[in-house]
Amino acid sequence: MDIKISVKNLEAFYGKNKVLKNISIDIPRNKVVAIIGPSGCGKSTFLRCLNRMHEVIGGTITGSIQVDGEDLTKTDPVLLRKRLGMVFQKPNPFPTMSIFNNVAAGLRFNGVRNKKILTPIVERSLKQAALWDEVKDNLDDSGVNISGGQQQRLCIARTLAVDPEVILMDEPASALDPISTSKIEELIFELKKNYTIVIVTHNMQQAARVSDSTAFFYMGELIEYDKTTKIFTNPANKQTEDYVTGRFG
Amino acid sequence: METHFDIQLAKLKTRLFKMCSLVDEQVQFALRAIEEEDMSLAEMVVERDKKVDKYDVKIEKICQKLFALNQPVAMDLRLIMSAMTINTNLERIGDIAVNIAENFIRLRTKPAFLEKTKINQMSMIVKEMLRNAIDSFIQNDPKLAEKVIRSDDELDALNAENHKVLIEIMKEDKESIEPAVTFLVTSRELERIGDHATNIAEDVFFIVEAELIKHKYEKFLFSEVENVEKEIDEEIDEDEKRNGDVQKN
Repeated sequence: MDIKISVKNLEAFYGKNKVLKNISIDIPRNKVVAIIGPSGCGKSTFLRCLNRMHEVIGGTITGSIQVDGEDLTKTDPVLLRKRLGMVFQKPNPFPTMSIFNNVAAGLRFNGVRNKKILTPIVERSLKQAALWDEVKDNLDDSGVNISGGQQQRLCIARTLAVDPEVILMDEPASALDPISTSKIEELIFELKKNYTIVIVTHNMQQAARVSDSTAFFYMGELIEYDKTTKIFTNPANKQTEDYVTGRFG
Repeated sequence: METHFDIQLAKLKTRLFKMCSLVDEQVQFALRAIEEEDMSLAEMVVERDKKVDKYDVKIEKICQKLFALNQPVAMDLRLIMSAMTINTNLERIGDIAVNIAENFIRLRTKPAFLEKTKINQMSMIVKEMLRNAIDSFIQNDPKLAEKVIRSDDELDALNAENHKVLIEIMKEDKESIEPAVTFLVTSRELERIGDHATNIAEDVFFIVEAELIKHKYEKFLFSEVENVEKEIDEEIDEDEKRNGDVQKN
């Protein structure tokens, strides 16, 4: 198996409070891995550890996280977040910026100012995010003047513009209606051809539909990690079975 | 806490258990009607088939509702999928019991040559197989289910033997042709009940062990369905290619 991210004995803390306990997991390249589990199980913390956002909010970690064999804890967080882009639960386009500038924001932050360079990248990113046809005539409109589903795809385009290797998605469709959700899910299928995707979701059916493998977290521990088909048809662990069948959590 | 889904699932099981005992009785009564030359019992079997059909429709509706409203996974998914196929098999067994009873109603008496056939032996095995298949389902007992699957070969052999014996009887005595043909059909019907009981037993394996056993011996895990799909797709592609070549030639 071609491993993109290798996590070994990861433990995460908020002060003295241990929120992730001895997590070891390999995330394969160009695959979608879904993280499921009840609220407070540590799934979002796990995602934030992967691009060192956990440290930004005052947390600490032990153990190792490697991306393509490179120790993530020794990488500059800014460069790292370029490689591991993140899409959040609530669409968060920059309200004072146009659609074009929202997509170009990451590149501009990294020093690219030339519009001749920016324009094709913005177009490519919006196309990849399946948003281009809907906004190509209104690129100068505000990023918040489009629907919630479009805003979320705009945020995905913004993530794609800096050419990441991994996309981390934290409940990317939980604030969206079913049609927008299905567009995001279709997009995930397309994106995995070029990117490795880790998605945190509360929606079990969504995890079943979009992911290749699923990890079940409970109280900071990784209970079971296997192919999604296995997790949703015949999980090995009783706790996983109880969770996916809705009997606890 | 028992959820609404759990209550519906319990309702499905209760209906299915009732259907099991009803169909079991239908088979017992149809065979006893021949054994004791009891016309009224045979007529009762025909009449009671409406009740079997009613249960069939009710169980089907519960399954449809559970699928549509709850998107079941894991153990629940396997149980509801199996409930649908077990229900179909039971309904077919019910129909066969009616056929056996109707055939006997036409004959009105038990022919003397019946002693030379293996019909009695087949009846005993069928009754035991059906009872074991039902018990294995009610008790979630794959060992008992395995016993059912193994018994089916014996039934097939007895059916083949009956064919030989009954053809000889027809050759020897033209007067026996009509009853012999009837019992040729009955022998085949008994063998079919065995097939349906085997199907039910295979479903028990599926519910308890998540093992798909098809056509008696082919075993694979439910979670390996993806691989099987791929194999089937490849086979279909090859067949289409072959057919295309044949047409070109």
